[in-house]
Amino acid sequence: MRVDLARSTIRVIILGAGKGGTALLELFTRSPDVEVVGMADLNPDAPGLRLAKNLGIPTTTDALALIAERRADLIVDVTGDPKLGAQLVQHKPPRAEILGGKAALLIWKLAQHEQDLRDQLIQAAKLACIGTLASGIAHEINNPLYTITGLSEHLREETRPEVIRDFVEDIIKSGRRIADIVQDLNAFARRSHREEQCNVNLNHTLDEAVKMAARRATMVDQIKVVTQYGDVPPVRGNADELLQVFVNLVTNAVQAMEGQGTLTLSTSSANGFVFTTIKDTGPGIPYNNLNQIFDPFFTTKEQGKGTGLGLHIVRDIVIQHGGRVTVDSTLGQGATFTVKLPVLQIP
Amino acid sequence: MPWGLHTKDTPGQGRILIVDDEDDIRKVLRLTLTKAGYDVVEADHGGKGIEAIGADDNALMVDVIICDIRMPKINGVEAITFFQRQYPSVPVIVLTGYPDQKMATELLNRGVYDYLVKPVDQDKLLESIAEAMAHRLALKHDH
Repeated sequence: MRVDLARSTIRVIILGAGKGGTALLELFTRSPDVEVVGMADLNPDAPGLRLAKNLGIPTTTDALALIAERRADLIVDVTGDPKLGAQLVQHKPPRAEILGGKAALLIWKLAQHEQDLRDQLIQAAKLACIGTLASGIAHEINNPLYTITGLSEHLREETRPEVIRDFVEDIIKSGRRIADIVQDLNAFARRSHREEQCNVNLNHTLDEAVKMAARRATMVDQIKVVTQYGDVPPVRGNADELLQVFVNLVTNAVQAMEGQGTLTLSTSSANGFVFTTIKDTGPGIPYNNLNQIFDPFFTTKEQGKGTGLGLHIVRDIVIQHGGRVTVDSTLGQGATFTVKLPVLQIP
Repeated sequence: MPWGLHTKDTPGQGRILIVDDEDDIRKVLRLTLTKAGYDVVEADHGGKGIEAIGADDNALMVDVIICDIRMPKINGVEAITFFQRQYPSVPVIVLTGYPDQKMATELLNRGVYDYLVKPVDQDKLLESIAEAMAHRLALKHDH
């Protein structure tokens, strides 16, 4: 069964590439059902035009030529130029709507508000995810901790220098092991800033996610991790958010397999997209749940093991990166999540 | 053959089989137990534990088993199931770093002697072992 999350799109032209236009461009490019088909500003060096160019969106200094050339459903005018406003009414294609003045400002304000809410939700989901990871990590620390406390007790009575040295080495080794475990969690817990966009190598992100969410499973359970990484180009995005996506997907896959199975991670690229698949050999997802798994607060996990936020945020983050996430599952044969992200590089 | 291999008197305080995949953990346990006068046999996973307890009929008599749960290859639950079936008179003490209430209840219901969590206090560990050892001896004398 395949669930595609594509929706019908609204084609938008943004006029004005200053602060307001840039904010709208960012919002629209992250929105699942909006496509920005062009952007114009009298100033060829306006920040929004530069961003649009990076995103592969046509830009121009001639607003009227743009609306004549590019078929759009909506023209958003944030230039604040009354002369252009009047010309637009005259020259707009018959089926296009114009959004200008205070109405455009209102949209911008709502965009800001939505962005704040989104940041909060991502953070909430991350905290929930950290809760799950932390309980695993607390356990992971118990073994080295026992080495430290146990050997220290013996050190109290030990007088032979070579034995003391040997014990101390073991204690240091165990302490470092605990430090590594804690450091991984700290790196993940760090609050991310959505402005932090960079080129992300998804092969590295997957490795990080496995280290964080599947290390225990591979060390002590009968879970095998198979990686089939292609030589994929980097994607443009927020490294922390993308890590959150894959930590979630890997955590789910590991939980689904209940201590036994194979986790297969693969990456490939085609047609300007990087495809990442996370495949488990767990029980699979029942048909009736397939359409719900991305809904907020939908969970089949026991109380305390899941909040139902994970996959919702996964989809949200992926869509805001201009990508799509799909799931394939047959009952009894595991599940495969595929994340498709556009290759968009910062020059 | 209810007692199988365990008919001969054990030397010293008794013999303990440690099943844990981590070298350092076995080292701590070995130090603690040998200092307390016990004889120690080690295995680094469930399969080895099963092998160890079944090896060399006459030489090896195990009085108490300390077993980890999460281990590669044959895990603790599988090994404990085997121990309990083959050697029902040998008390098994679980020593795990990954406590799980459901699992603890299940194992205790299945007759596991004690369920301890790392990092366990050495005194508590020795106390539990002494009790298990007394239990084992009482069973031996009954027969």
